[in-house]
Amino acid sequence: MFALALAPSLALAADPPLVEWARQRVHSGLVKPLAEREDSTFSRAKPPPRERRVRVLATTATRDQNGGSFVPFAVDVRYGDKWREDILGCVYQGSGHLFVKRGDAYRPAEFLLGKNVEPVPGVCRGAPARS
Amino acid sequence: MLVGSAAITAASLAYFDAETLPPFVIEKLPVRFESLWMASLKVHVASAALAFPLCIALMTRTLQRRPALHRWSGRLTATCILLLLVPSGVVLAFDAKGGSAVTAGFLLSAAIVAAGMVLGVRAARRRDLVAHGRAMRHVVAQMSVAVSSRALILALDAAGMDPELSYVVALWGPVLASAAIAESIGRRLGSFNPFSTVLRNRHDITPLAHLVRVRARVGPVARLGR
Repeated sequence: MFALALAPSLALAADPPLVEWARQRVHSGLVKPLAEREDSTFSRAKPPPRERRVRVLATTATRDQNGGSFVPFAVDVRYGDKWREDILGCVYQGSGHLFVKRGDAYRPAEFLLGKNVEPVPGVCRGAPARS
Repeated sequence: MLVGSAAITAASLAYFDAETLPPFVIEKLPVRFESLWMASLKVHVASAALAFPLCIALMTRTLQRRPALHRWSGRLTATCILLLLVPSGVVLAFDAKGGSAVTAGFLLSAAIVAAGMVLGVRAARRRDLVAHGRAMRHVVAQMSVAVSSRALILALDAAGMDPELSYVVALWGPVLASAAIAESIGRRLGSFNPFSTVLRNRHDITPLAHLVRVRARVGPVARLGR
């Protein structure tokens, strides 16, 4: 299971560089640390998935209210033979900062790795279109 | 069960680490009343870590042969369960993973524990040890759900079941099975235990039998007075 989680997501040959960069960044900054952190403890927490995969949800970056460019992504998990969406988030171009959606807000991805970080307002949301 | 209880306690130590969020908390957040939920989780974990091993110890013959120790341990356990474990569990139940089906399962388990404890204490106070044992078996059975449910989650995960479904199955299965087992043991012991038969039929005991019991108690005192 650990080896599967560490295996890089398959990139399609036709993926543009931005998509491939985002996929690699999500993998190294979120999927890999998650796999390294989790184990099956005797708790009510969800057991570790068999496998995770990263989907980049846009081929171009979107500008947020602060002028930063981000690319939205999703992480799917597989339990048994069924895949389902588990994490939604975005990765910022340039800085590589990762944010994940919890409830209606986005928090730094370190939250999923156990750091108690507060939601960051304005991230991962496209700036309103100018009229 | 003791090993399971120790494993749960070991896995729950992370809840008291202010720096790191354990996976169960990460899954749950955000919740409506975060401070109340976090406080309830810590109270629930700490009180369970104390009450469950005490419950198991109280079921042993060793402690049951020492009435004073059994009584005081029982009082401590009952206080811990009724004032800390059950109320905090009820708070946590309303934000349980799996929605209303899981909330209902936890609330049913809490109701059995609370009712069993109250009935068990009342039975002990009136010296009805059969009813006391029967009620307390229900309390311990529901507390054992903490172990059996986690074990079932691991087993169902190994079988490839979806975690959302397995969480519901792994709660309701042990809650109902534990109640059924505790009840069947109570009934079996109730029908074959001569002590319980005497208690159940105490209204049918003949005046002669009462006299014999009174003489048995008064005899030694009377002899002392000679």
